[in-house]
Amino acid sequence: MSTPTQTETSNTQGLARLRDLWNDYLPYWFMAPMVLVMVMITFFPGAYDLYLSLIEEPTLNIFAAEFAGLSNFETAFTRGGAFHSFVITVTVVVSALFLESVLGFVLAALVSGVEDSNRMKSFYRVLFIIPMAVAPVSLATIGRLMLNTEIGIIPYVINTATPFAAPSFLSDLPLLTVILLDTWNWTPFMFIIFYAGLSSVPTTLIEASRVDGAPLWRRYVHVIIPYMKPVVFVATLIRMIDLFRTFGVVYGLTQGGPGTATQLVSINIYEQMFINNQFGVAAAIAVVYLIFVIAIANIVIAKVGFEGVWD
Amino acid sequence: MASADLDTAATGSQWLDKETRETLVTVIRHGILLTWSFIVLFPLYWLASMSLKPPGQANALPPEWIFLPTVYNYIQLVQQSEFVNAFANSLFMVSASVVLVVLIGVPAAYVLSRYDIPMERDVLVWILSSRMLPPIAVVLPFFFIFRALNLFDSRIGMVLMYISINLSLVVWVMKAFFDGIPETLEEAARVDGATQFQGFMKVVLPAAKPGIFSVAIISFIFAWIELLFGLVLTSFEAVPVTLFVYSFIGSRSIEWGMLAAASTAMIVPVVIFLIAVNKYLAAGLSFGVVIKE
Repeated sequence: MSTPTQTETSNTQGLARLRDLWNDYLPYWFMAPMVLVMVMITFFPGAYDLYLSLIEEPTLNIFAAEFAGLSNFETAFTRGGAFHSFVITVTVVVSALFLESVLGFVLAALVSGVEDSNRMKSFYRVLFIIPMAVAPVSLATIGRLMLNTEIGIIPYVINTATPFAAPSFLSDLPLLTVILLDTWNWTPFMFIIFYAGLSSVPTTLIEASRVDGAPLWRRYVHVIIPYMKPVVFVATLIRMIDLFRTFGVVYGLTQGGPGTATQLVSINIYEQMFINNQFGVAAAIAVVYLIFVIAIANIVIAKVGFEGVWD
Repeated sequence: MASADLDTAATGSQWLDKETRETLVTVIRHGILLTWSFIVLFPLYWLASMSLKPPGQANALPPEWIFLPTVYNYIQLVQQSEFVNAFANSLFMVSASVVLVVLIGVPAAYVLSRYDIPMERDVLVWILSSRMLPPIAVVLPFFFIFRALNLFDSRIGMVLMYISINLSLVVWVMKAFFDGIPETLEEAARVDGATQFQGFMKVVLPAAKPGIFSVAIISFIFAWIELLFGLVLTSFEAVPVTLFVYSFIGSRSIEWGMLAAASTAMIVPVVIFLIAVNKYLAAGLSFGVVIKE
């Protein structure tokens, strides 16, 4: 933040002034592009969704739009299947979040307990994160390949190795299939974060509770998990937010079917928009969904708090 | 949940001597971990083996465990110009978006880390909230605006959407990284006559390189696997590879071998990336809450 000296020629003075403008306002220049993009990707879509949900026909000329009041919302929740899709989404989010957290934590605890000298530890750690590399589309392929009643290996094994007849996974148990596939795909996310969190628990803390003679489960419930609270909180929050975004795997696997059995909100909005051409209804569901997801995330943030997450 | 970690040094031995119990615990531990390893690996093996089987053997049941691998499906795939185009499209669009999102996000994260920003907490939550917006709700407005601005089915438009996925990630992770770099580093540079900008470029950025590297790769992965934006905002020109694979699934008669090959081709680069950054992954995904390994 040097001040321009009077002895310089006007040309270099101009350059110097420009440089000072750059240096003196550096934080603003550094923030500006981010703020610009953020405004574009947060305020704009929200406002436009709201606008679309309130009008009859989408038109770029805002002044020519015919307002529809709340009729789009009414249609969404009466004939649009919005309520059903909210229930399905919450079911998937809650079950998958529960399964992935528990499984991720158990695996992380088991791996971090492997003897240090053991090379198996790093083997497991690297291996267990791999499913995250599988794109939802590829996951849908795997699901269709392995669960297919005619060519799938899993029904084949069930039919030949057990006395039971294999269910038709995609038509009889579509929701369970979606939840289990998501668990396979994203347990690694919980695993890797919990694993790092477990590694950051000071050994002195664990030793102390061990000397006190606390049984294993008490050590986890009263010492380790409370210490890891910020880690558990962030991992769960981020995963929850991402679960609400689920689209690709369900679209590739069942396209929301059979019927509307796996019609998540994202699938419902997509169908209303691009198959039924009901832009207003789609936007109405989107608006309610936006408010719903942001409200839940904020309740979680307020309830659990952000201590330890900030400086 | 806790009982699953059968700690070898647990106190109190009543019914088995210490050594036997430790062996038993190790066996159970590795039994569970190897079972999960199998659950992780088998579907991937199955997909890859399907892609390497000759057409007649792909759907055979009982499965033919021993087969002569062939790259027939991959050759078929590469001969389809649509696949090559989509793959190149994705590589270009995703890479461009990663470069841009790092250029936009890293300086902002630096400011958030070093300066007293009014309402900093709210700014950070606002940034995080961009990740709370379900893409389907975001894509609807952009569908209309892209058509109006001639950005529909354009690579620029897709790059923009990919930036929107990853910006919050980059800002949060990099803020945590900058918080961990001592300010004295820049102050020393300032004493030596460097401007603030030079201090940032020559001292802070090199120190933050591992963070930038890992966040770039994680951003790459999130953009690479995205399907919805491609589905809604492209039709021909800017089709990403996810959409190409999806179009296989959607078609009436599925060519399993080629579908498996395309799906495998999508996974391989990401697996390599993931293993490369596995060290920094935790810090990246948890928005910097976990930094220690």
